[in-house]
Amino acid sequence: MGINQDGKEGSLILLKQGAEARVFESTFVGRRSIIKERFSKKYRHPTLDTKLTLKRLNAEARCMTKARRLGVSTPVLYALDPVLHSLTFEYVEGPAIKEIFLGFGFNGVNQELMNDIATQIGDAIGKIHDGGLIHGDLTTSNMLFQNGTNKLVLIDFGLSFTSTLPEDKAVDLYVLERALLSMHSSCGNVMDQILAAYRKSSKQWSSTLNKLAQVRQRGRKRTMVG
Amino acid sequence: MKVFEIDGSLLSLALFTEVMNSNELLDAMQSGTLEPEVAFLNASLIPDVFPVLVAAHKTLLAKSRETLTTRTLHSELVYNYSGSKHISESLKRCGISKDSTYVLVARFDASLDEMKSIEKLINGKEVDLEELEGRANQAQIQKHYKISGLELGISSLANAITCRIAARDAL
Repeated sequence: MGINQDGKEGSLILLKQGAEARVFESTFVGRRSIIKERFSKKYRHPTLDTKLTLKRLNAEARCMTKARRLGVSTPVLYALDPVLHSLTFEYVEGPAIKEIFLGFGFNGVNQELMNDIATQIGDAIGKIHDGGLIHGDLTTSNMLFQNGTNKLVLIDFGLSFTSTLPEDKAVDLYVLERALLSMHSSCGNVMDQILAAYRKSSKQWSSTLNKLAQVRQRGRKRTMVG
Repeated sequence: MKVFEIDGSLLSLALFTEVMNSNELLDAMQSGTLEPEVAFLNASLIPDVFPVLVAAHKTLLAKSRETLTTRTLHSELVYNYSGSKHISESLKRCGISKDSTYVLVARFDASLDEMKSIEKLINGKEVDLEELEGRANQAQIQKHYKISGLELGISSLANAITCRIAARDAL
């Protein structure tokens, strides 16, 4: 008989603060973990605030686990606390794709690694889209490259929702395209590689990519004039 | 037997095979005469201790907020491990049944004496917790938790269960 978990719980290290949530590093029953805590907005009516926060918290947990069921890696969810409005999940070791791509900008592109990453991105997005899941915030900082396995891990499902409309999927891809253009223009045409992999992975690629062409002409927001 | 610390509380786990008296244990538990109170889990559904610890964490949190869904702390652990909201079905599938022979016993904050009396209660052979993985029934786990082959391509069985336990209340 002995205690084999160090139990150093409660030691929180603030990693990031966003507009909706704070992200901490901590330990969860002996494992390194991330805590994402949504805070209340003081400018909202308290009743509305609790409702919205809880709804988004639950949606995020649902979408994250749904992505896993569709065969796309996301951090393992450890706990959901509806009172503190927090999610606890696995700490994924590895750099964000953003850092890798920025490194390519400085040191020249490692074409092999770039192809591998682009293919994994396209494949992952194709899978979630076919399952009716829209990530909502596809940027290179919301994708990690896990050490050891070299697998792509999607994070931050805070803006995710379910939809099967080509429009929503096209906008999801468009957001990524804009992010790549503005951050990683020195990496060459990653988006073409991503879309090639998307075409192989998604059965409904045709309608989505047609829509994407339209979205490119008008931008992310639909014009609602007339 | 092994003891794990979860948020300042302790959870003792012991794994038994060839249990011959599950019928009696079930009766004693259902009539509330089991002393000390423990949780019996269907160990075939447990490929690793971690999901049990996750369920235990959830149980302790609910206890500290006085929001237990079931009648006792230990039945709550079984209910939480199931990843389902159906209480009686959860206790039936993830708990002990009349003909169970392979059982994981759990107790919160158990003293040494209590654990000894538990070992006496159970007519079976205690084995190491390391054996969970090899003895788990993968087909039964996949069916109960609805885990597809697609998901197992990117996740271990234990992690898939963990996600379902944690996300249950969001569904």
